[in-house]
Amino acid sequence: MTVDQISSSAEGRPAPAATSTGRRAPAADRPRISMTARRHRAFYMFTSPWIIGFLLLTITPMVYALWLSFTTFDGISPNWRYVGLGNYRELLNDPVTWDALGRAGLFAVTSVPLSIIAGLGLAVLVNRPIKARGLFRTLLYVPAVVPPVGAGLAFKLLFDQNSGAANGALTFFGIDAVGWLADPYARYVLLMTVLWGAGNVMIISLAGLQDVPRELHEAARIDGASAWRTFRSITVPLLSPVLLFQTVTGMIASVQTIMPLLLAPLGDTSGITTVPQSNYLYMMHVFAQYFALGRYGYASALLWVLFVLILVVTGLIFKFTSGAVFYNVDPEAKK
Amino acid sequence: MTATALPPKSSTTDVRVRVRAKRLVLYTVLVSVTGLFLGPFGWLVLSGLKTQGELAASPVHWLPDAFQWHNFADAFHQIDFLGYARNSLVIALIYATLVTLSSAWVGFGFARLDAPGKKWLFGVLLGSMMLPQMVTLLPTYLIFAKVGMVDTYWPWVLWGLSAAPYLVFLFRQFFAGMPRELEEAAIVDGCGYTSIFWRIFLPQSWPVLSASFIIAFTWTWGDYIAPQLLLSTDRTTLAVAVMTTYVSEAGTPVPELQAAASVMYVVPILLIFLIAQRGFVAGMSTSGLK
Repeated sequence: MTVDQISSSAEGRPAPAATSTGRRAPAADRPRISMTARRHRAFYMFTSPWIIGFLLLTITPMVYALWLSFTTFDGISPNWRYVGLGNYRELLNDPVTWDALGRAGLFAVTSVPLSIIAGLGLAVLVNRPIKARGLFRTLLYVPAVVPPVGAGLAFKLLFDQNSGAANGALTFFGIDAVGWLADPYARYVLLMTVLWGAGNVMIISLAGLQDVPRELHEAARIDGASAWRTFRSITVPLLSPVLLFQTVTGMIASVQTIMPLLLAPLGDTSGITTVPQSNYLYMMHVFAQYFALGRYGYASALLWVLFVLILVVTGLIFKFTSGAVFYNVDPEAKK
Repeated sequence: MTATALPPKSSTTDVRVRVRAKRLVLYTVLVSVTGLFLGPFGWLVLSGLKTQGELAASPVHWLPDAFQWHNFADAFHQIDFLGYARNSLVIALIYATLVTLSSAWVGFGFARLDAPGKKWLFGVLLGSMMLPQMVTLLPTYLIFAKVGMVDTYWPWVLWGLSAAPYLVFLFRQFFAGMPRELEEAAIVDGCGYTSIFWRIFLPQSWPVLSASFIIAFTWTWGDYIAPQLLLSTDRTTLAVAVMTTYVSEAGTPVPELQAAASVMYVVPILLIFLIAQRGFVAGMSTSGLK
């Protein structure tokens, strides 16, 4: 740091000042270059915590997992060995893997659009001139702040077969009680836990909605456009970058969700065996291999397949939306 | 156009009725949706106030015959609730403090400095936001086990020191918007970038610092899977304790205590959110918008 100070004073001030610090000769003939060099050095100094952390805590584990995925490592047995693509071959031939993947895919393509639609709907609703607007926004957002453990327990109690409010309401209307937390209904409870957090999408869309230029709405109204038409042709296109971002992050979150585990009778990772079939998503399959069976090698192969799939799907989403997403590149147009 | 289209007299009352009906529908929708969103949490609180018998009753026992406030005290005493809460607090404070400072530090680099490869690195940073953390967490656990960091808080220190892409992005956006004269004047005065960061940029970024701290704190407080993996039963966090330690001798969860405990676990986070709402929401929406 002292070196920085000296060289910066040498560049910023005329020679007398530099000599007055007493340690360096006049730097008049080497100003510009050292200035840029200093900025470069500073850039790497500032970004190094992230770069080092990324290499150590992200890249290393991933490479380690890739290596493990070619072995039969289980953490206990000393005579684990290299099996090449054996784990990958096994997972491709395992119908349980395919079922779990299919369920995760179905969960992603239902939960993500539904929560975006719900969040967007809420945003439009609380963006209207209503009384206690701030209060409604806060209350609708609150569930998104509730940690997963709290949400999981709340939904478990709400959908309890005997004493849950959901079945209470059903029987009130003369419909038979349902085993919500078991097959085949457990998937709907899982879906509802996601929708419960739609406040997240709401808040982010709301920020986007407030950026939509007022003149556009006025122009549309003068042209006689209906509310729905305005929404579809103005609001949605202008929000499309936000919606795209939500789609991608939502998809990745949905693949990683541990909610099926939290909704199972035992929330512990040992409770993985109690997750009902319809909530046995890909991640639960990984957990089962990892915790219940200790098959670290096989589980690592499953993780790498998932990682590559996410990359491919994200890439495809970006590719196919590149024409449909509207970026307001001219900031002046907003005013 | 409107003047000629509307019939002259009765129209005003007609319009007023329609407006009023519209507003009625709007508020009905709004109130019922809000009720629906608050329902699950309300049910959790209510469940914490019932007896075990009422929680097992079929059909549903909507309201407890008498509020069992002692459930909260029992949940508090049956396990070392304070101890687990302290573990959660320590981990969340360690992580939130470190990650806020490191992310601000890295964010400053991306916002204010230049070097070959910066664009590429920033792309990697943004891309890493999309990395599924679960994919790295399980092998990370194996590595931490190997180097003896399981059952210590070191993983949170390391995660904290290495900045979070999401928060780096938040800080970058904020710092990039600050006037250039600020640092130019400082450079003329002979300040290095380190002191520019500490003395000029950081003191001006309280809104982002607090938003980042709160976001990181709630992440860690809410995290279930990392402490469950990395910490043993008595060093673990409240999230894990609430989920796993309220079990009867038969090994089944005790729902009323679990409900009471989870209310006590969730309420601090809700309070923090309600108090710091503005910064929190601003932080969330900046990063969502890109």
